[in-house]
Amino acid sequence: MSKPADLVQGTLDVLVLKILALQPLHGWALSQRLKQVSGEVLQVSDGSLYPALHKLEQQGWIKAEWKPTENNRRAKFYSLTRLGRRHLEQEAANWERISAAISGVLRLTEV
Amino acid sequence: MRLENWLYTIPLRIRSLLLRQRRDAELDEELRDHIERQAEENRSRGMGEEEARLAALRSFGNFVAVREQTHETWAWATIGRLRQDFRCALRSARRAPLFSAVAVLALALGIGLNTGVFTMLNAMFLRAPTFVDPASFVQLCPRYSGWFTGADQNSSFTTEDFDAIRSRSHTLDEVSAWRQYSALLEQGNKYITTLLMTCNYFHVLGIDRAEVGRFFASGECTGRTGAHVAVLSEPVWKNQFGADPRIVGKTIHINGVPVTVIGVAPSDAANYLLGGVFLPYTLEPQLNHAEDLLTSPDTPWLSLTGRLRPGFTRADARAELTAIMNQQDRVYVQRKTTAFDRKTSLVVTDGSEIESPAIHNLALGLMVLMLGPLALILLLACSNVATLFLSRTLARRGEIAIRLALGVSRSRLAGMLLMESLLTVCIGGALSLVLAYRVPLIIMNIMAADQANFVVLLRPDWRVLGYLAILMAAATVLSSLMPIRAAWKLDLLTALKGREGAATVRSRTTSGLIVTQIALGFVLVCAAVIFGRMPGLIKGMNPGFEIHQTLNVPIDVNTSGKNRAKAQVFYRDLEGKLLAIPGVQSVAYAGLQPFDQHPPTEIRLPRQTKGTGQPATVDDVSTRFFSLFGIRVLKGRAFLSSDVSSVGASQVVVVSEAFAKQFWPGGDPLGKAIVMPDDRHLTVVGVVPDTRSERFGVLDGPRLYTLRGPSDLGGNLYVGFLGSAKPLKTAVREAVKSLDPTQTIVPQTIWESLEDQAESMVAVARIVLAMASIALLMAVTGVYCVLSFAVNQRRREFGIKMVLGASRTVVFRSVLVGAMRNIAIGLMCGVALAEPAMLLFNRLLARSPLPLRPFDLTVFGISAVLLAAVSLIAMYLPASRAMRTDPMRVLRTD
Repeated sequence: MSKPADLVQGTLDVLVLKILALQPLHGWALSQRLKQVSGEVLQVSDGSLYPALHKLEQQGWIKAEWKPTENNRRAKFYSLTRLGRRHLEQEAANWERISAAISGVLRLTEV
Repeated sequence: MRLENWLYTIPLRIRSLLLRQRRDAELDEELRDHIERQAEENRSRGMGEEEARLAALRSFGNFVAVREQTHETWAWATIGRLRQDFRCALRSARRAPLFSAVAVLALALGIGLNTGVFTMLNAMFLRAPTFVDPASFVQLCPRYSGWFTGADQNSSFTTEDFDAIRSRSHTLDEVSAWRQYSALLEQGNKYITTLLMTCNYFHVLGIDRAEVGRFFASGECTGRTGAHVAVLSEPVWKNQFGADPRIVGKTIHINGVPVTVIGVAPSDAANYLLGGVFLPYTLEPQLNHAEDLLTSPDTPWLSLTGRLRPGFTRADARAELTAIMNQQDRVYVQRKTTAFDRKTSLVVTDGSEIESPAIHNLALGLMVLMLGPLALILLLACSNVATLFLSRTLARRGEIAIRLALGVSRSRLAGMLLMESLLTVCIGGALSLVLAYRVPLIIMNIMAADQANFVVLLRPDWRVLGYLAILMAAATVLSSLMPIRAAWKLDLLTALKGREGAATVRSRTTSGLIVTQIALGFVLVCAAVIFGRMPGLIKGMNPGFEIHQTLNVPIDVNTSGKNRAKAQVFYRDLEGKLLAIPGVQSVAYAGLQPFDQHPPTEIRLPRQTKGTGQPATVDDVSTRFFSLFGIRVLKGRAFLSSDVSSVGASQVVVVSEAFAKQFWPGGDPLGKAIVMPDDRHLTVVGVVPDTRSERFGVLDGPRLYTLRGPSDLGGNLYVGFLGSAKPLKTAVREAVKSLDPTQTIVPQTIWESLEDQAESMVAVARIVLAMASIALLMAVTGVYCVLSFAVNQRRREFGIKMVLGASRTVVFRSVLVGAMRNIAIGLMCGVALAEPAMLLFNRLLARSPLPLRPFDLTVFGISAVLLAAVSLIAMYLPASRAMRTDPMRVLRTD
């Protein structure tokens, strides 16, 4: 039941949105991708991805669709909505600003 | 969230609300798909089948928790949760149908009685008396300061005040005046409530259409002699005139005055029509021979209601009307017809009774008195339901423990139990609506069966619904409190092991329940005993004077000013005629009426100064009074004809025993002097025994009989007779009519008026008795339930006791003794509750002759014995079940 407590609130959301912006994915693929891109830094239990996904869906930033996959199976694919894309841009810009500010401060203290 | 977001998510939200099951299934599929893919991935890395699956599950985390957390993110998660709780409650209610039915019925009864009576009280006291635009309706309540007594006095308006307000007010669109009056209809011998009113009265109330015929035209209420027309209320039309379709145009007689019926007022408005017959107020002098209120400039007699002109508030109206009344005050004082320095203040209300300063306290007291016992019944119902829920919660403790072990939070569990109560209360509440509509009608039918012109019209408004909601919320909380507490304190480990001992429900809880039920039941049984005894007390008491052979002859003669000489002749002739009737023994006058409260007068001894005297009731009687009323003389003598001095008042006085004891303790009162408030010195010539003439069955306080002057007029006329009352009453009536055909009177013996009083008490008693029976039934079933439950809980304890050598009698006795202790405590709590209620009741009835003692041991004693006996019977069954406990079986189940 571990929650991504280490993550800055909302970071997981941004990461998910960013990954989905590149291509629609289903849950498991998304979690694999997340581990891959974050270089296993993000220690998130696989399950906790789903509350986050559903929340994003409820907010209208991503939409879900059942699609067939290999071996006659089907999976729920998530993709970014137009709203989600706009939100991602905003969040990314925010992130840039904040991280620039923080690293600026950190550099100051080091000198 | 922005609008655009909503556009995206609305379909999703609707789906999550409506297609919840499908969404649940989809979520399950999604999560399982994830785990399967992870397992495949693991296998492809060379793990074994089982190992791969377990590793996938591990890395996924708690499946149930993830599902729950995801649920929480869905829209309307709370609704979903509530729906789950609701379904759960429905299931558990269905599983125990009998149990649920009992709980629902108890609550329906409790809530229904409360709401029903509240609906009635709401219509009577809380609502503005109109359905049309109540916001603009006003009632004007004047109050005089500097009244003779020194205290402020709620009053009404004189005809002049009314005319002034009507002609000068700008804030009021329309003003109507009215006055209630009891009058005789046709040759009937019962008084009927008539309303003397201005012709716009119906219009101001918002009633514009007559059921039959028409209402008054504006010209019919003007001038010094109004038109002889009348409007009937629908109940009077139906009951007294058989709903005669040709009633319009017929002539009827009110107090002997002929009036033509012009219309019938519809009964759906009769609730607010304060009478059965409506007459122009200008007819007042003809109906009421004793007083001409209409032309009297000083006598307040009219109540005023009106409509605000659009744009004005009640505060505006109050300011303006106060100014007008102050001008009127100046005119009044300048006229100097009385010594009263009149100062009027004014309250403008919305027309509801509760806002009227004159009856605010009475209405409030009545509401407390009527709703209080009913609240107790609801409390009883709640404690019954609480017992049922508590026993069910404990029976289900295994299930609850499993829920807790699976990770349901305790607050969520409490929510579930609350929902179960809510469900029961809601069904009970819905059922109670049936009762709520019946109860007022039943009550009115019992209370006022003969007074059919009082029909309560039921239109539930926000007050009734609000009251219902409050009751239901209170019932929910009260009935779920204890089960929740029990579930909250459930010890998970012992419960899961199924090894819970007797200590689950502390005996304190069950004792508390029994004590509460006994105490609440006691208060209601007390009320029933008080009212049940009342009619018997009234009829069975001995007032100390003759009541069967004494006839009261109520006459109505104007004795003021220029009419005095005529009245004197009338009385003289009447006495002669009455004495000529065969069977009549004597005729006498008395100043006071029996069974009525009268303010005392200050009586001094010769050397005492004003203000240091003692209070006594003064009755001004004629010489034959004592012999007619059968009051014998203890010492000295009664009044003689020779005591009547032709010049001024007489010098002698007769006192009661209590008076003698108070003023001359131990001494001989004969020949002593006393001083009246007007400084007259009177000599005591006789002592008579105390009577019970003020309150039923209660000895009067100090009483003083003065002798009526030879030229005094008015007072109450009594006829003493021998033989049967019936022919005599007719003869007396004829005698009065032969002298003055406009006199329409109903002579009644004192006994008959007592019987009337007793009869009205029987109606009240019946209602209280019904309420108390319900309460008693609930208390007894409650005690039975609690005790059976407690006995069930203690089965193991009894088994062990028996194994250790306790006999069955010992077990039986231990249960009964514990319960009896609770009954005793409950009775004491009941006395503590009943006593203040009785004090309040006593204060409200201070002016009525009903004998109510503040600490009535008889009442308490009878109630306690009754309640104890009934609850002991209820206890017998559970106690004997405890006795039959089979120790082997009980101990083996562990």
